[in-house]
Amino acid sequence: MSDETPQVFVDEKKLRKQSRRDFILFGAGTFAALAGIWWISPLSSKKRIFGEHATDFLDTAAARFGLTKERSERFQNTALTFDDDVAEALYSPTRSVRTYKRSDLTPLRNNYNGRTPSPDYIADWTLTLTGLASGTDVVLRLPDLAQQPQHAQITRLCCVEGWSAIAGWSGIRFADLLRVYPPAADAKWAAIESAVNLDGRGNPDPYYVSIDLPTAQHPQTLLASHLNGSPLGTDHGAPLRLVAPMKLGLKNIKAITKIAYVIEQPHDYWADRGYSKYDGL
Amino acid sequence: MGAIGGDVGDGDFIDVGLFGEVMNGAEAHAAGAQNEYAHEARMVTLFSPQMDPDQPAEVPSDDAPAPAEPTEEVPVGEPPAAEPPVEEPPLAEEIEEVVDEHASQRLIVIKHHALVRLSHWLNVPILFALIVSGLSIYWASPVFLHKPDPVTHSRDYLADAGIGIARHVPNAEVNPSWFYNHFGLGVYNLAGALRWHWLFIYFFLANGILYIAGLLIGRGYRALLPRRSMLGESLAMVRYYAGVIPMTIARRPWPHPEITTKYNALQRGAYASMPIAGALALASGWAMHKPVQFWWLERMFGSYDGARIVHFIVMIYFILFLIPHVVLVLVDGWDTMRSMIVGWSNRAGGGE
Repeated sequence: MSDETPQVFVDEKKLRKQSRRDFILFGAGTFAALAGIWWISPLSSKKRIFGEHATDFLDTAAARFGLTKERSERFQNTALTFDDDVAEALYSPTRSVRTYKRSDLTPLRNNYNGRTPSPDYIADWTLTLTGLASGTDVVLRLPDLAQQPQHAQITRLCCVEGWSAIAGWSGIRFADLLRVYPPAADAKWAAIESAVNLDGRGNPDPYYVSIDLPTAQHPQTLLASHLNGSPLGTDHGAPLRLVAPMKLGLKNIKAITKIAYVIEQPHDYWADRGYSKYDGL
Repeated sequence: MGAIGGDVGDGDFIDVGLFGEVMNGAEAHAAGAQNEYAHEARMVTLFSPQMDPDQPAEVPSDDAPAPAEPTEEVPVGEPPAAEPPVEEPPLAEEIEEVVDEHASQRLIVIKHHALVRLSHWLNVPILFALIVSGLSIYWASPVFLHKPDPVTHSRDYLADAGIGIARHVPNAEVNPSWFYNHFGLGVYNLAGALRWHWLFIYFFLANGILYIAGLLIGRGYRALLPRRSMLGESLAMVRYYAGVIPMTIARRPWPHPEITTKYNALQRGAYASMPIAGALALASGWAMHKPVQFWWLERMFGSYDGARIVHFIVMIYFILFLIPHVVLVLVDGWDTMRSMIVGWSNRAGGGE
C-alpha cells in the first residue's frame, strides 16, 4: 500500500466509540435533513405524496418540536432573499454593461404576460412625473422628450425565464430626465407604471416596477423610444419603455405612463407574485 | 468523563497521520502503548473538537459499562482483560495468548478526512435541491429544443424524456409537464424554483470549500492526481467492468485488476473530475446569474447562452456520475460505504 492509504493500529475500544459517534452524527444529520425538507415543503406536495392522514400526523409532530408553518414562512422569507442582498452588495453603479455590434442583433420576442394592448392609446399618450423637487406634477408628451439628447446602445436583454436577446435601443437617458425634472430631495426610488397593460383576457392589468435612483442614473439606463432604428411597436412598449440592461427584463417596463419619485421602496408586479425584488444582473 | 475522556491521546484516528506527524497527545499515546506496531504503522491522532478530554463524553457507551479510568497516561494496549474483544468472544483467551497486550488493537486503513466525509454527505441534499429547482428553472426556457412534435406539441427533449417515462408508468398523465412535475419542483413554479436555487448555490459553494479543505488537510488529494499508469489501468478496468457480469453468470473466474493505490484509474478520473465539474457549475451559474457584474465569467463561456449550455451539461454529468457511484458502492460492500461515514476501512493490506 502506498502512503495514500496509511494503515495504523488503533485501540479497538476507542475506534468503536469514535465510529459510534460518527454514526450517531450521520443519523442525526440525515434525520435533520429529512425534517428540514418536510418543514419547508408546501402542504399540497406533502398531501399528494403522503396522503392527508400521514401529512396531518407528521405536521403535528413537527409543530410540537417548533417546526411550525409560521416559522417556516418566516424562515423562507429571510433565507430566500439572501441572494438579493448579495446582488445589491455586488452592484457597482459605474460598471458598464457589455455592448454588442449590429451583427450581433438577435430577434426580440414580445413577452407581454397578458395580451398586447391595441395601439389606440398611443395617440393620447402622456407621461406623468410626480414627487418632483418643484412640488408640482409634470405631464410630458413625446416631443418634450425628443428635445433631450438621444443615445443609442446595443445591449442584451436577459429574461428571468432564461432566454435573452441582443437588441439596439435608442432614446433619452433616464439621467437626463432626472436632471431636467429633479426628484424631491428625499426620494430614493422611482415607481414606474404602465396603465395600458392587459391581462390574458384583455382586461386592464397595470404593470409596475421599482427602480432605485442609482440605477436610474446609470448612463446605460434609457427611456427608449426606438428599437433597432424604428419607433417602438406596441409589442415592445410604444411609445416609451425603460431599458435598464443591468436589470432583468421584468424590470424593463414597457409603455410607461407614470414615474413617481418616492422615499420607500415601491412594489413590483412580479415581486408581488413571488419573484425576487432586486433583479440586478 | 469516563467513557472517552479516560483514554489517552484523545482524538480521531482517522485522517490523521496523513501529516506524517503527531498532532495531539499522540506521542504519549504511541509511547504509552509500548506497541511494537507503533513503529511500523504510525499511531497518531488529530485534534478533534468533539473529543476534548476536558468535556464530558457526548457519546453514551452502551456496551461494557465504562470503568472509571484514571484520566492520564494509561497505556492503551494494557487492559485487554477489562475489555474483552466483543466480536469474537469465544476466542478471547486464544487471542490474548497469541497477541498478548495487543488484543485491543486493530489494524485499519485511514481513508477519508472528516471534512471530506461531511461535505460528501452534505452534497446529497444540496445537489438534490439544486437539481430539482434547476429543472423547474429550465422548464421556463429549455436550452435543447427541436421542432414541435405534431402530437405532444413539445419542443423540449427533457419533456419528451418525461413523456417516454410516463408512458410506462401506470395511471400517469402523459404530457410534457410530467417530467418537471416529477423530477423538478413542477411547472409554473419559476419564482419559487429560482429562490431555492439561489439559496442553495451558497451552500454548494461553502460545501465545495469544505471539501477542498478536507482534501488538503487530510492530503487525500494525492490519491486523485493523475499518474503515468493511468491509461493502461483504465483499459484494464474497462475490460474488467465489461466482463464482470457475463463472467459471473458463466461462473468463470474474472479477477479484479490488481490495484495498489487508493483508487483505480477510473475512480481517480471520476473523483478528480468532481471538483472541476463543481467549479464549472458555479462559474457558469454565476455567469448567467450576474452577467454584468461578472462579465469576465460570461466571456469565459463565450456568451450568455454558452454558460447555460455548460451549466446544463454539468448537471447531466453529475447525474451520470451518481448512478455508477451509488451502484458500485452498493456492490462493493458495507466496508466501503461505512468508510465514508467513519473514515476508516477494514481492508488493510490490499487495494479495494
